[in-house]
This record gives sequence, C-alpha cells and structure tokens, in this order.
Amino acid sequence: MTNFPAFVSHCALLARFELYRLVGSPRGWFALGAFSVIWYFLLRYPIFEASVQLQQPEVQGMLGRVFGMVGLHNLLNWPLPELSVYWLITLLLLPLVAVLTSADQTASDRSRGTLRFLTLRTSRSAIVLGRFAGQMLVQALLVLLSLLATLALAGWRLGSLPLAAFEHALIVWLNLLIVLAPFTALMALCSALVRSSKLAISLAIVGSGLLMGLLSTLIWYWPDFLWLLEYLPGAQLPLLLGEQGWNTLQYAALPLAQTAVLLTLAWLVMKGKAL
Amino acid sequence: MTALIRAQALSKKFGSKTVLDNLNFSLEAGDPIALIGPNGAGKTTLFSLLCGYISPSAGQLEILGHKPGSSSLFGRVSALPQDAQLDPNFSVQTQLEFYGRLQGMNPATAKAETARVLALVDLADNGKQKATALSHGMRKRVAIAQALLGQPELVMLDEPTAGLDPVNAMQVRKLIASLSKEATFIISSHNIFELERLCGTVLYLEHGRLQQQQPTHQQGVAGYLTVQLEPGDNQRVQLLLSQLPGVQKVELLQKNEFGLCYDRELCPDLDLTVLALLRAEGLPYRQLTLGRSLEQQLFSVVNG
Repeated sequence: MTNFPAFVSHCALLARFELYRLVGSPRGWFALGAFSVIWYFLLRYPIFEASVQLQQPEVQGMLGRVFGMVGLHNLLNWPLPELSVYWLITLLLLPLVAVLTSADQTASDRSRGTLRFLTLRTSRSAIVLGRFAGQMLVQALLVLLSLLATLALAGWRLGSLPLAAFEHALIVWLNLLIVLAPFTALMALCSALVRSSKLAISLAIVGSGLLMGLLSTLIWYWPDFLWLLEYLPGAQLPLLLGEQGWNTLQYAALPLAQTAVLLTLAWLVMKGKAL
Repeated sequence: MTALIRAQALSKKFGSKTVLDNLNFSLEAGDPIALIGPNGAGKTTLFSLLCGYISPSAGQLEILGHKPGSSSLFGRVSALPQDAQLDPNFSVQTQLEFYGRLQGMNPATAKAETARVLALVDLADNGKQKATALSHGMRKRVAIAQALLGQPELVMLDEPTAGLDPVNAMQVRKLIASLSKEATFIISSHNIFELERLCGTVLYLEHGRLQQQQPTHQQGVAGYLTVQLEPGDNQRVQLLLSQLPGVQKVELLQKNEFGLCYDRELCPDLDLTVLALLRAEGLPYRQLTLGRSLEQQLFSVVNG
C-alpha cells in the first residue's frame, strides 16, 4: 500500500457506509425491527424469567451442582442474573447470527458489478477490511443496544444497578466482539468466494461441516491430532462460559489470530478475483 | 513524456481460450480514442484489463506509468463498465457522494460534484431516486455521471450509448465532445459512425488481435472523396464522375454512395469540381466527405 493514510481513510468510509446501510436504508430498518422483536422476546422470557428463577436459593443450589460438574459454576457469580443468562444466550447464539447477517460483505456487489465502481476509487484490500470493520461496527452497536436493554431490565427489577454491573456489561461487550470477529471474518472469506449471500452462508455451513468431518476422521485414526479442534473458530466458547470478569480476555488471542488469518485469506481471494 | 496507455505483448486467456493475443500499442493523451471490433473481439476484456478488474495472462500494461488498479490511479482514471449497476438500496445521490468521498473529496465538494455530474447527464432531478426506479437509459446515464466525478485524466466508456434513445445518445455524444479537452476518452462502441464523429484515433480489434491503430481521418486527405447523392441513375453518375480530370477510379460503395480515387497533385480541388458537376447536372447531394469513412478505412483493409 503506497498511501497508508488514504487506505485507512477508505476503510473508515467503507465501514461507516455499512453503518449507514443499517440506519439509512429500508433493508436496514427491517433488520433493526427484526432485531428489536427478537430481543424483546429474549428479554421478556428467557432472560427475565431465568433471572427471577436464579434468585431462588434452591434453584441456585441445583444449578451450582450441575454447572459445577461441567465447569460452569462461574455463571452464577455474575453481579446480575440477567447478565449470566445474557452471557450464556449470546455466546451460543450470536456467532450463528453473525454468520447469517454478515454474509453479504462483497458477494452481491461483485455479482451486480458495483465493485467495479468501487475498485476505480479504492483498493480491494480496503474493501475487504472496510466492509469487515463495518460489519463489526454494526454488531458492536447492536450488542451494545441489547446489553443496555438487559441492564434496563435488571434496573427495572431491582430499582437500581450496582456499579459492577456496568463494568461486567463492558466485559461482556468486549468479549462478544472478540468472539464474533472470526465468524465475521469467515463470512468475509465466504463472501469473497461466491456471488450471493445465500451461497456464502451455505458455503460457511457446509465448509464447517466438512472440516469437522475431516478433523473427526483424522482424530479417530490419529488421536494425537486432537489439539487441532482447539484452533477452530468458537473453540474457546466452552472455556469462556466457565470464566467471569476480566479473566475472560485471556482467551482473546486465539479468535483475534483466527480473524487475522481469515481476513488475509479473504484479501487473497478478492485480489485474485475477476470483477 | 509518459504515455497514457502502453501495452507490451499483452495477452489474456480464459482457460485454453486466448481472448487477447500479444497486443502492442501506445496511446497518448488527447482526442477521444475509439475501440472497435466485432462481438467477441476482446474489447470488453481489454477494458477490464485497463480498469484492473482482471489481470493479464502475459505481457505488461501501464496507464499513466502505473499498473491498472494501482492506488496511484484512483480518481485519475474512471470508467463506465459494461453491465455494472449501482446498489439498489441507496439513492443515486448517496452513492455518487460516497464515490466522491472515496476520491478524496470533502462532504460539501462531493455533494456539489454529484449535483454537477448529474446535471451533465440531464438527471439533476433524479438524484433522490434509487437506481432500480430509473429506466435503463437513465441508469446508463447515471453510470456515465459517476465516471465524470472529480477530474479524471482518462475516462473509459464501454458502449456508452448502447440502449439509449437517439436523443439521449446524441446528448451523450455532445457531452463527450464537450469534455474531450479536459480528459482523454476511450470509447468502445459498435456504432462506427458515432466513433468517427467523436474520435481521433481508432484501435481495431479482431479475434483478440490488434488489426489497426490509426487516426480516424488518416487517409482522408490521400486522394479519396466519398459522395452520397439523392436516389438517381447510378450508372450515369458513375460515368460522369469517372470522366472528371484526375479521377482514377469510381466505386459504387452503397446505394447512391460513390468513392472517388484521384490524384491529389493533378486535382487538388476535386471536391469543388464535383460540386460544380453535380450542380450543372442537377444532381442533389446529401454528403460530401474528403477521404474514406471510418467504416471503409477499417473494412477495406481488414477484408481485403
């Protein structure tokens, strides 16, 4: 890259345009509406009901024993039960949501020819990185909104919120962004490989299934390769569920490295693609 | 001085099919340049290489001294790519302003530039509309407008008037003619008469090879006159024309169109002599052209 400031500026403009896609287009409004409805039901039923149940000593005791057996006893130590349930739900749910919502980073623009207009003005590397950053920006905003709603729900139940709740919400937010980054980067790669978001989603699901099948077969015959499973996107999720507080960030290196590798692959694919 | 475009041993293959074969040419900035060739000749492939959409299989290609797609060319080279469409989720204005921002303009300049280029293609009132709400011709004009954002030095237009009605096609031709002092245009088209009017140089591609590179009017002063008349007795006209002093040969090119080969030294004012003859014989004419038409230049050489 001969002009680094221009590259950074292009990435920022592309990322901001993705945010504008969310708030400035009917398609974005529809997505925001769907997001609000889904989160209303998640907050109203699983999160609210479970947090009420978690206040019961007998439920706490039973869950403590169950979670203790699978190494998740820390789930009950969050300052707010709402955050415990939020943490559990989002860690399991949001990676899938990220795969579904960030599938169209470049695919339909390439199919439509819009990338031909863009590449006359900015580099393919800026498009890959800018679109990825844009998706992360959108996800950061949506996760923040859902976290604020969860805190509001807890505040409504308790009448006030302990200061630790805000600190833990910040930890959850940072962790979720780190968790979502490799899945979003995976979709940057899939989107660069095919010409529609549906194909990108199919490729991600089928590709992950095939990879898991291959690894399982490999490990079946050569159990020494079991460690390979620890390097797949999301491999740190069970460990994260068992942690709490700033300790959770100890698992950040792997997803960040996975993100870097997947984005590099996406850039290489995009660089060699005919537009 | 750096050439505008320089191609050396440029080839492009798709699988085993050679689409462009060992092209060598150099183009300077100036009058519009025509890219002509039959379907499948490799025109769009050459455009795609020039825009950096695809990479050559062999050889070298430089625009203003840089590889196509280089960041040094952002904002300096623009194009109307064939079949490319804007994002259907945003208004035309939003997208053109965004392109302006990517070209380094501040928000106010990008907005003003967008208004300027939309006015150039007569779409000043359509900026708020989405591309999907526009007709095919309007979408084409929007795509031309995006190519004019900023101050590009080279504007490449792939079939700029294809699909436009005659009035809009004429407006686009006028626009190119009026802007050709500010930027060098490369225009690919099947409309040979359009290119003849607009362009100073022609590249003729056939079967992926560069058959000719020449000025559009190169042979115009080399002893040839094209005369188009109102319908009449062609045999009589051909006889009358062939009897003029200095005329070596009279060809019936098409219905009522004659080509006169003549010796320029013997008869430097043959055009005036022909006009006098036509007037004296009461033969109304439609057009008198010094030299061969571009169509004749290209196909008389290519086809024999």
